[in-house]
Amino acid sequence: MTADALIIRIAFGLAVALLVSGAAAAWISANAIKRIAGLAVAALGAIVALAALGAPGALIIAAAAVLFAHVAFGAALAVRLQEAYGAIEAPELDQADRQDEPAEPDL
Amino acid sequence: MGAYVELARAHAPLLMMSTAFAAAVLATLSPPRVSWVIACGGALLSAVFAFDLALRLLLGGGEFAFLVEAVALETDGVTIFGAALLSFASVAALVAAGAQLGDYEKRAAPFALALALMVQAAWIGALGARDLIGLFVAVETAWLAAVALLALSAERSAQNGAMRMLSAGGVGAALFLAGAALIYHATGALDLPRIAAAHIEMADAAALGAGLIVLSIALKAGVAPLHEWLGAGFSRANGLAAIVIGAVGVTGALAVLVRLAGYFAQAPAMGDGVSIALALLGGASVVIGSLQAVGATNLRRLAAYAGAAQAGGILLCVALGSPAGVAAALIQLTALVATALALFGGAAAGGVRTLDGLDGLGRRAPLAGAAIMTGAISLMGAPLTLGFLGRWRLVEAGVGAGWWWAAGAVIFASLAGVFYGGRLIERLYFRRAGEVYLGGAGAWRFATAPLLIAAIVVTMLGIAPGLLLQAADAAAAHLLGAAA
Repeated sequence: MTADALIIRIAFGLAVALLVSGAAAAWISANAIKRIAGLAVAALGAIVALAALGAPGALIIAAAAVLFAHVAFGAALAVRLQEAYGAIEAPELDQADRQDEPAEPDL
Repeated sequence: MGAYVELARAHAPLLMMSTAFAAAVLATLSPPRVSWVIACGGALLSAVFAFDLALRLLLGGGEFAFLVEAVALETDGVTIFGAALLSFASVAALVAAGAQLGDYEKRAAPFALALALMVQAAWIGALGARDLIGLFVAVETAWLAAVALLALSAERSAQNGAMRMLSAGGVGAALFLAGAALIYHATGALDLPRIAAAHIEMADAAALGAGLIVLSIALKAGVAPLHEWLGAGFSRANGLAAIVIGAVGVTGALAVLVRLAGYFAQAPAMGDGVSIALALLGGASVVIGSLQAVGATNLRRLAAYAGAAQAGGILLCVALGSPAGVAAALIQLTALVATALALFGGAAAGGVRTLDGLDGLGRRAPLAGAAIMTGAISLMGAPLTLGFLGRWRLVEAGVGAGWWWAAGAVIFASLAGVFYGGRLIERLYFRRAGEVYLGGAGAWRFATAPLLIAAIVVTMLGIAPGLLLQAADAAAAHLLGAAA
């Protein structure tokens, strides 16, 4: 195996590790900020994978732009959640939503 | 004048997307009611281009053309069929939005309409994208617009749902990029026709890449078990957001999935792997979606889970990789649009959230009740409805390919549909009204009527499906022929 091939494999392995750990954090974390951070890590992993496998620059730029949009939007949503609920933990938000749900009418 | 019309028709694939984008921009600059007129006009114009294209190319046997104008578009059969379906759903949703604008703060209403148009335009763009870069950008634009539309709802719970959607969609985006990287590494191409025709030496990498992209789009289509965002998103959405995400967003994602699977199926190195992944996902979605719909107590969640079960049926059709399977998928997609419009539109018109709110709705709001009932009988797969026709075509295609278990999955979905669909009808017509009518007041509430009538009419196309079948067959034959 040549040095170049070895570097590509190492970079791709790093990318997969970043993608999997970020995706897991974004999917299962209860905290909104951790979810956004997970998204950023997962997308960064994907961008590293694109670079390691020699994808065209246009796709890498598009990926970076979309990553920026996701993180910016997620941060705005986290702020709105904090303002509206006073919390950003999913269990607390769900609990508040259940309390907001109008009670079923008596028949 | 005639020359201008011909020029517009020649550039219809671009115009059906750009008119909606232009209307979105104009809508944001206008007061609420004016922006509603602009949004309806933009969606209608886009629909005119899409239906004209469908009539010329799918029903009239015209020549398909590859079009490059600033962005690379590829008009294949599924692009045209899907664009017509999406623009129909969008027009219905935006006309009905006239009754929903009161759900928004005054300054937010034009933005909500613009975002609804963005969802439509971006999914049409994704359907027409020639390469994976354009597809990625269009899909993410559509997804972020849908998340923003949900977040704009006045209730704070919508922001909670939007956060779930955003994080799920972000994971999907990362998977898509990883898949695109692998496909490029294996094939040296990002163009869909070149990928389909490529001589692939690294078959495993190509198949894994294709699988990741399919997984990413399936996540955005709400296919179980990747539908973590579905229940949270729909139960917290207001009327307009639920209709747009359910009837336009989910449909767009599924149509893109059908198109992508058509291309991937033509590449021998990827076809088998993608087919197995689609079949597994489809079977799981039918079972999980049906079971969750049976247990749902919120009408929008029930409709969303039933949609996941229908989406599973579509994936099963596509997994067959044959023209008959793709045509069956397009029929089921049409049924899904009609059902989503009927259920989400009926829920919005009647002001219904939980199933208890349906009690006696058939008497309090006859049109909304009729629409929900029509959607319910289509979910059951009752004869003469599109739901039946779609499932029948799947059984035909599945048995023809020796996939008896797919026919079993369809029968399971129909049996589950009898439970949850029957529950809706029983509440609509066989219970005393539990609460007063909660739908809108004033003349604007009638703006929902065209949507409900359209949903009923399209669902009952099962009575005379000739044109629909012809268009679906032509679209499927062209997709698989074009990709080959």
